[in-house]
Amino acid sequence: MSNAISEIETAGTDETGGLTTSGERAEEIQSEWTDYRLSADPKLSVENLNVYYGDERAIRDVSMDIPENSVTALIGPSGCGKSTFLRSLNRMNDRISSARVEGSVKLDGTEVYGPNTNLVELRKRVGMVFQAPNPFPKPIRDNVAYGPRKHGELNRGLVARLLGRDDSEAERELVERSLKQAALFEEVKDRLDDNALGLSGGQQQRLCIARCLAVDPEVILMDEPASALDPIATAKIEDLIEELAEEYTVVVVTHNMQQAARISDQTAVFLTGGELVEYDDTETIFENPASQRVEDYVTGKFG
Amino acid sequence: MSEAYVHDRETALVSDELGAYDRALDGAIAVAALNFVLGLATLVGALGPETSGVALTDVMLAVSAAGVGGVGLVAACAVLNVVEIPSRRIRGLGVGLVGGVILLTVFSTVPGVDMQTLMGVVLLFDGLAVGFAGIASRAGLVDTEPNASAGALAGLLFGAIGFVLGIALNGIVFGGTLPVVVVGTGLAVMLAAATVLPREDLGSTLPVALVVSLLGLVVASSVVDPGWSSIPAEPMNGGLTGSVVVSLFVMLGSLLAGWAAAKSRARYGARGRQYGSFLVIYLNAAMTVVVMVSIVAFVTVRGLDYTVHGFTIGALSGLVVLSPFLVAALAYARRPAGAADWHGGVRETVRVLPLAVVGAVAALLVSLVVRGEPFVHQFTYTIMENRQERTLETALTVTPELTVGTLVVATPSVVLFAYFFRKYGSLAGVGRTFDRQPTVQRALGGSVAATVVLAVVLLLGGSQPFGLGLGGTLGFGAVVITSAAACVLSLVAVSGLLAGNGSRARRARHNAQFVKVGLFGALGLLAGAVVLQPTTGTTPSIAGLDLLPASAILATVAGLSVAALATMARRATGTSDAEQRLTRRLLAEEIRLGLAGATGFVVLLAGHVATTDAPFSVAGLTLSDGGTLSWPMVLFSSIPLGAEPGGILPAVVGTVWIVVGASLFAIPLGVGAAVFLTEYAERGRFTALVEITTNALWSTPSVVFGLFGAAFLLPRLGDTPSLMAAMITLGFMLLPLVLITAREAIKSVPNEYRDASAALGVNKWETVRSVVLPAAVPGVITGVILGVGRIAGETAPLILVLGVGDAGQPVDVLGGFRLMASPPFVYNEALLEASKALPKQVWAVIAAGVSGSPSKGWSTALLLLTVVLSFYLIGILTRRHFRRKLDYE
Repeated sequence: MSNAISEIETAGTDETGGLTTSGERAEEIQSEWTDYRLSADPKLSVENLNVYYGDERAIRDVSMDIPENSVTALIGPSGCGKSTFLRSLNRMNDRISSARVEGSVKLDGTEVYGPNTNLVELRKRVGMVFQAPNPFPKPIRDNVAYGPRKHGELNRGLVARLLGRDDSEAERELVERSLKQAALFEEVKDRLDDNALGLSGGQQQRLCIARCLAVDPEVILMDEPASALDPIATAKIEDLIEELAEEYTVVVVTHNMQQAARISDQTAVFLTGGELVEYDDTETIFENPASQRVEDYVTGKFG
Repeated sequence: MSEAYVHDRETALVSDELGAYDRALDGAIAVAALNFVLGLATLVGALGPETSGVALTDVMLAVSAAGVGGVGLVAACAVLNVVEIPSRRIRGLGVGLVGGVILLTVFSTVPGVDMQTLMGVVLLFDGLAVGFAGIASRAGLVDTEPNASAGALAGLLFGAIGFVLGIALNGIVFGGTLPVVVVGTGLAVMLAAATVLPREDLGSTLPVALVVSLLGLVVASSVVDPGWSSIPAEPMNGGLTGSVVVSLFVMLGSLLAGWAAAKSRARYGARGRQYGSFLVIYLNAAMTVVVMVSIVAFVTVRGLDYTVHGFTIGALSGLVVLSPFLVAALAYARRPAGAADWHGGVRETVRVLPLAVVGAVAALLVSLVVRGEPFVHQFTYTIMENRQERTLETALTVTPELTVGTLVVATPSVVLFAYFFRKYGSLAGVGRTFDRQPTVQRALGGSVAATVVLAVVLLLGGSQPFGLGLGGTLGFGAVVITSAAACVLSLVAVSGLLAGNGSRARRARHNAQFVKVGLFGALGLLAGAVVLQPTTGTTPSIAGLDLLPASAILATVAGLSVAALATMARRATGTSDAEQRLTRRLLAEEIRLGLAGATGFVVLLAGHVATTDAPFSVAGLTLSDGGTLSWPMVLFSSIPLGAEPGGILPAVVGTVWIVVGASLFAIPLGVGAAVFLTEYAERGRFTALVEITTNALWSTPSVVFGLFGAAFLLPRLGDTPSLMAAMITLGFMLLPLVLITAREAIKSVPNEYRDASAALGVNKWETVRSVVLPAAVPGVITGVILGVGRIAGETAPLILVLGVGDAGQPVDVLGGFRLMASPPFVYNEALLEASKALPKQVWAVIAAGVSGSPSKGWSTALLLLTVVLSFYLIGILTRRHFRRKLDYE
């Protein structure tokens, strides 16, 4: 398995020169593309996005629309920029001092990279789950309630109690609801006050999803959420993603093409140098891709 | 870790069957350890090698009481399954220790030998035991697995020991008449050959037996006595005195004997080497501890006399004071020691050590009560009176009285109640709820509230509230009724456990809510009654027994019964693993509940005695308002002892305030700067500059800080040396260390936490406050601990900025605050006064020879050590608390 992946990766890097130098061929492929605007009213709309790390361009002129209440998978070999692309959707790249973003990302028609964007609001609406589970070293309950508490939506403590504005009950409900949504509640309901680091890796990742859900986002970005997990935990996360797509817009980066085929509604293939090569319904990408290179990639041949 | 696994490993490493051979060797190891401690005691001067007769008997009786008590308490806990001790070696060592101290006591009493002979004979015995073990093994009497040879390393070691011993013996026995090199080399070659040439069992025992027996003979036959000196020639300075040589010989001999006995105990071969080398490695590590302990012990021995002048305590009071330590030691011992390997065995020993110490002290105190004689430690010290030395006699006394003061009872009880209650955590989560629980709880709350309201009304309205002449009667009736109700409720707790179906464990689990309501309900009711009682001035009694304390005692017994039953039930475990765990957890909670209740009732008892001023006795034990504690002189500011001010309290208070003030100044500043530098500032020239500056500041000599304080701060703070100036100066010294360690700690917080928080839309400051800083707290505390250790003992700056201070009066910082209408609004006179401080006083008394005698200097040093170690302890406990919150345990 890992051999196969590394072969694909090597193949991908080998192809770099081919694609970037031969503009002719790239043009030819683009002409074969189906329309990447899959929805009339997209949740997220990306136009001519470029991301630079210092002088290096990690994302090249990517434009794509992400429809609401669906799962969009971003696949591609390592280093193709799919994680960078994902992080630019909720401006997590701002946290890297050398990163620079050009182009436009619109959330429900509002520019994300506008000068007046409220980062807190943006990240509340566009949540994120990371590759490695990263719960805080706090009790499970505090992990889930962390976001709402910090946003001042839950008042707790002595002062709140004295003022009669104690939201302990609301918090309890929120924690329970979020954990249930993340399919974790049954496993941890007896130990909500135990430290979250005592959970298994898969449970920790679902806790991170619950923590993300607790702030009630509209879009959930997931950066290879199952890559650090065993097959059973992976299966649980995949089921969860499919369920979440009924209420949320999910964008998921994955290395695993089978996973993308299983869970996503549409798939974007990033091949090399941060270029979006093809973006279409998942079925089309995996069964009848427009480009030969994408076909080679998804069938594991790569040329 | 399952039980079976533990025993498998244990039997795999040490033979399962315990024969006379093993027992004897366990005994030899234990006695060697004991002898090592005695040697250490003579080295630091706690006990003279020439001690003999009644004095030695007394010492040995105390040692045996302590040994039996310590081992006994650990054994009792092991039998009760409270503390798990699966290791056979540790059990064997325990038995050996008890046997050893009893034998030593008998031996020191019957033939009437002195300390030196005693230690020598024990060495001789150990040497012979090791020798016999080797011979028995070589003769095939026991089943062992020795290698062909003990190895070159052991040979080298014994060669070296032989060389040194040869030279030493030449000097001691023959007065240095033989050629040094010949004797040394001869003995070295002989021992090395005896180690390497024969089979391992002989090779690793016979040389040891030879050396240890020789040392034993030299010590026991008083060839070297305390008057002996290694330097016969007058012009040479220095050299070893007899008592030091005796101590060193005893310690070296004990080490060797213990090592060889341990090797034999593990049947030689690979296992034997393992055991032997582990012993040596751990002893090696323990030696660093010994250095620390020696310093503390030495200062203690020198300073204790002056410090405890006039200290008297009743044995029973002592036992009560011991109880929080018992709980702490138990909690420590109960934590699992990890894998059952050799390290596990050592860890087990370390875990039960505090428990053994508590048991030892308790046994000593109990033995006083049983014998009915007070323990009086007489000593003398000198003070300066009109520049003349004068000797004072005083004593540390422990009386066998059965009286306890309310304060002595109440303080540990409050501590325990808080501890158990905190440990117990959520009261709601235990067991099932019974049908009428909410009603009962409401009724309970109502009646407690009613009692308190009644008390307040009676207090305000006197005996005729609202003009009704019912006050006294009403109050009397209320006290009687609440006490009786409390009795009934507390009995419910126990009856619920006794009457029910299934095993005790199941019953305890089922009736948890009864227990809860019973215990805490009774506690609340009695609390109300205690509040009510003094206002009505009534003490209702039944058959000569005060009703209120009687019901408190009844409830205490009930609470303790719950705890005892639960402990017993803990052993009757369920079938499946999960069930067993659940039962254990629930029962552990019940134990805490019971103990929390019991200690709460004890507090009430003390409260009753304190409010009514009436002593209360039951079964010969008296709880009185006064009690049997008189504080040591050191805790007084001044005691008229001739011209010398006696107390050391002003210096203690001064040091504590300086450390607190410096910490309050440096910690927020340092941590704040660290947060700014790591989380906000860009890495660049500025942060690099700050880094260099802090490091430079950290290595600046303290006297420079002192000069800066004197030249810069003093003119700006009233122009006199003051406490405030000292706080700020030492705060400057503390600042760089806090900054450096806090930065490192914050840097080491994983970036994932920051990303996760940012992705939730939480801003930077909130992230730092609620994720980064909590994760960095243990590291920050480590820095503070180190820093506080440094500044608490700092002398040079204090000489410059603190001034002389009033010897007769400690600074009253808390009482010195004054509010004013004009700026600076808050003014504290005490902070701007000169004060005493411990390190400065040590310097002044011992080095400069002003204001006091050397005894006072040593006592000051002892207290300085105590203060610094207390700050350490607080720091370490805090760090552990936060670490545990971060870990998933």
